[in-house]
Amino acid sequence: MADPILEGRGLTKRFGGLIAVDGVDIAIERGEICGLIGPNGAGKSTLFGLISGVMRPTAGTVTFNGRSITGRSAHDICVAGVAVTHQIVRPFRDMSVVDNVMVGAFFGHRPRPRGRGGARAAAMEELEVCGLADRAESPARSLTLGGHKRLEIARALATRPEVLLLDEVLAGLNPTETDRTLDLVRTVRERGTTIVMVEHNLRAVRGVCSRIVVLVEGRKIVEGDPDTVLTDERVVSAYLGTAAHA
Amino acid sequence: MARNGAFAAIAIAALVAVPFVAPHAEYALDVLFLIFLYGAMATAWNLVGGFAGQVSFGHAAFLGIGAYATAIMTQNGISLWISVPVSALLAGAYSLVIGIPAFRLRGPYFSIATIGIGEATRLIARNWSSLTGGVSGLTLSSAPPLLLQYFAALALLVAAVGLAAWIRASRFGYALAAVRQDTDAAETLGVATTVAKTQALFLSACILGVAGSVYALHYLFVSPDSVFGFSTSIALVIMPIIGGLGTVTGPLIGAVIYTFIREQLAATLANVDLLAFGVLLIAIVVFEPRGILGIADRIRRMRKPPAVTVPDG
Repeated sequence: MADPILEGRGLTKRFGGLIAVDGVDIAIERGEICGLIGPNGAGKSTLFGLISGVMRPTAGTVTFNGRSITGRSAHDICVAGVAVTHQIVRPFRDMSVVDNVMVGAFFGHRPRPRGRGGARAAAMEELEVCGLADRAESPARSLTLGGHKRLEIARALATRPEVLLLDEVLAGLNPTETDRTLDLVRTVRERGTTIVMVEHNLRAVRGVCSRIVVLVEGRKIVEGDPDTVLTDERVVSAYLGTAAHA
Repeated sequence: MARNGAFAAIAIAALVAVPFVAPHAEYALDVLFLIFLYGAMATAWNLVGGFAGQVSFGHAAFLGIGAYATAIMTQNGISLWISVPVSALLAGAYSLVIGIPAFRLRGPYFSIATIGIGEATRLIARNWSSLTGGVSGLTLSSAPPLLLQYFAALALLVAAVGLAAWIRASRFGYALAAVRQDTDAAETLGVATTVAKTQALFLSACILGVAGSVYALHYLFVSPDSVFGFSTSIALVIMPIIGGLGTVTGPLIGAVIYTFIREQLAATLANVDLLAFGVLLIAIVVFEPRGILGIADRIRRMRKPPAVTVPDG
């Protein structure tokens, strides 16, 4: 990988005595869909937190487009062009769906749309892409879980990211919703947005990701193309346990 | 929106006409003056406490700084054209000094810190006698004509409500609403939340600074316990809550109710007004946290058939 768009080196996060992420090196190629998998507590969401500026790394660096963004604030990193969705959805509950997305359009990566009309038009475009256009004027709190997940994506897309970090957007969705969301992920990639997704649904990961990185207990244990990674002995034992354990 | 604008224009025109139609109704003019002043102050508080959701119990500090600044400058013969804007900016500057550390705290912790800031400011005013006259305060000799005061307070109210209406529909307003509902989510969407909160506090403090000028020139007396008093900070919290927190006109509605209760009850029996505010506040928090405007909204909904809800697809 000659020119990664996003690169973490030696990323470490310690919470007191617990090491959630332990010296992870990760490089994301421009235009790929990269899956980040691992058992619960492997440090996937923490790694996203370190990249997106929600948390400060204890050690290590994050480089985006060749520039260090290590330790910068979350809003700064969003403006730079890295957006993140929240595993536990965090809508602005009292706002309408379109107003939620307008916050992303008003702020976020440059160039920003002009004025309220511009922000609204941009927000409506993302709602269209995410299949929420008919719910634009509903209060955000009235959406179903699937709707909330798509709102998270629409809001992040409205910030015009170059890299989009999706944190378990499929969790809790039924099969129909899962397929719709995977189609959406592909559409977003086709627009030229690089995607990194944390996901537990391995079948979905296999279907949509071109590369997979596996974290176990805060460490990267293997990375590569889906078929190789998912049949790797270390990955299988991390998920299912070894014969010795069973 | 156009209807709101037309309604506001009619209301302003009527209020401008009052002193000419009824020039001798001094009591009524005085009550209206107080409503304008309190309305402007409550609207200013609401920019921070309502729009941005950062509930401050120390806003009297900004009123006091404006009042003292104007009183001191007026005693030294400085023109109001200079002293009023300077008072606003001093209050604004003070808001930056306290806002930058205080906004490192969130939610109730921020609110508690503002109580401390408000009280500390009052104690500084009490003890810095060479500047503030200490406990006995400062007295001014002559007030501007009542008519001028009336229009100054009206202009301040119109400016404050106009600013609030503009902010609410603007990019800045979206930032504040996002901060109020989920500060962390706002951050990840590119909103510089601390900057937005600080800007809101600065604007709020500047308006309170001007309100302090108007206050000093009306009462001709400022003392630490009057302008910096905790009861003033509480009044600024109560009014927007009564009317409707985070709305454009709610604080003004709250100011009308607050002023009437205070004028009517405080005159009949000492401290009954405080009891009334306590009961009103509890009733609102328990039954309709959206205040009077929330009640109005409920009535409107009852008269209209319920909207058909489309299930989320």
